[in-house]
Amino acid sequence: MTTIITVTSGKGGVGKTTTSASIASGLAMRGYKTAVIDFDVGLRNLDLIMGCERRVVYDFVNVIQGDANLHQALIKDKHADNLFVLPASQTRDKDALTEEGVEKVLKELEHQGFDYIVCDSPAGIEHGAVMALTFADEAIVVTNPEVSSVRDSDRILGIIQSKSRRAIEGREPVKEHLLVTRYSPKRAAEGEMLTYTDIQELLRIPLLGVIPESEAVLHASNQGIPAIHQKGAPVADAYLDAIGRFLGETHPLRFVDYEKPGLIKRLFGGK
Amino acid sequence: MPRRREPRPAPALELKTTRLAGIQIILNSAEHAALVTHISTLFAATPDFFGGEAAVFECGRLPADAPSPDWAWLAQELKSRGLNPFAVQNASPELAARAVEAGLLVLNDAAPAPAVAAVEPEPAPASEPEAKPDAEPAAPASAPTRIIDKPLRSGQRVYAAGGDIVVLAAVNPGAEVIADGSIHVYAPLKGRALAGARGDTSARIFTTHLEAELVSIAGVYRTFESALDAPLARKPAQIRLADASQIVIEPL
Repeated sequence: MTTIITVTSGKGGVGKTTTSASIASGLAMRGYKTAVIDFDVGLRNLDLIMGCERRVVYDFVNVIQGDANLHQALIKDKHADNLFVLPASQTRDKDALTEEGVEKVLKELEHQGFDYIVCDSPAGIEHGAVMALTFADEAIVVTNPEVSSVRDSDRILGIIQSKSRRAIEGREPVKEHLLVTRYSPKRAAEGEMLTYTDIQELLRIPLLGVIPESEAVLHASNQGIPAIHQKGAPVADAYLDAIGRFLGETHPLRFVDYEKPGLIKRLFGGK
Repeated sequence: MPRRREPRPAPALELKTTRLAGIQIILNSAEHAALVTHISTLFAATPDFFGGEAAVFECGRLPADAPSPDWAWLAQELKSRGLNPFAVQNASPELAARAVEAGLLVLNDAAPAPAVAAVEPEPAPASEPEAKPDAEPAAPASAPTRIIDKPLRSGQRVYAAGGDIVVLAAVNPGAEVIADGSIHVYAPLKGRALAGARGDTSARIFTTHLEAELVSIAGVYRTFESALDAPLARKPAQIRLADASQIVIEPL
């Protein structure tokens, strides 16, 4: 049984690709055979984040159009066994994604025994984003603690509820998860940002996790190693917790409370 | 070599059933002078209200001994005001004969005129609501209440034609609830709510948590660019129209 997970947000730059890479890696580290597909045709990024950009020969569009088979296009990840990357094309545009083509590729992955397929959605609500969510079984909605991001997430949730195959065919609806990223407990406590409870109150879907704002993400991207592999970093721990919750485990939320630094901390510095 | 089959061209003529949206012109009197004055006052305020809709003269309420109205004049007069009368219905044989002479058709088996109805065009809403309802004749007031039990998200829009709407989940910013009747939101109302979309000034909006971006009743709207008055914000409230032109917001 293959589960298709779409990572989406509406708004750009909130951390969809970072999240796709880390969620896919996390599932693979748990032993699930996982594929992660870049739906951002024309602006491919996932291969950079995954550090496999120099091994891209064939891409998603080649497979859809029958120029290459899936086996040729899937790139095996360096950091996790069981993980394969299907990169986007840089030279085509999103119209190259047809519903039949996407369905064919997903069916074939299912046939090859993948447990999870993670679809990294492009920003926006146009064709590419709709293609990424059409076949979703579960959706991870990535949201930053700011009003415009929350509004766009709300919009994309509405689109999932109307345009996904599950909605159109009247099957059990797509299971929705909220993932708050780039969260700064300090700025939330000081009222500069929305708190994760504010966000959840508006979106009203279960909270999968809160990923703290961190420079480690930038380093991870530059090195081409998904952030979940940064051992000991709060970001990696937060993603590991999120994976656990996704798989039905209970983990208390971490990295969401701000404690004012005490006197000694202020005197002697430290983060 | 097999010949490729060409797609068949569409036939020159096709027959399909359709339902026309039309206007009934109910004649209560056939007296020429009364018709002249009433037509001019009726259309004075909104000369462009109609846009070429088909219309039928309903004669069922004319007294049995009424003289035949001047059909040709009447049809011409209404045509110049955007209505296209093409037939009479429920007319006595004599009236029907005169109508045929004037170039009108006679419809058979038409339902008799409703007991109470006015020929007046409904007042045009002060400002057109965003979602323009279909150009169908007004739905009966007894349309069933629409019930929504999932959150309405940004970009989503629901319209309750002809009746009320009850929303049991949040109406989020950027979502739109529209009803010909009243709107009840038993959750935070943070989006837009437009009641009385077809001009019903008695429609109201009720919510348990008022935080709307915009409310409108019969086309009269109010936005909330500045925060709501403190005692009302995020509180149960009702919104109604006073004097057909003033939005009133009261605590519930």
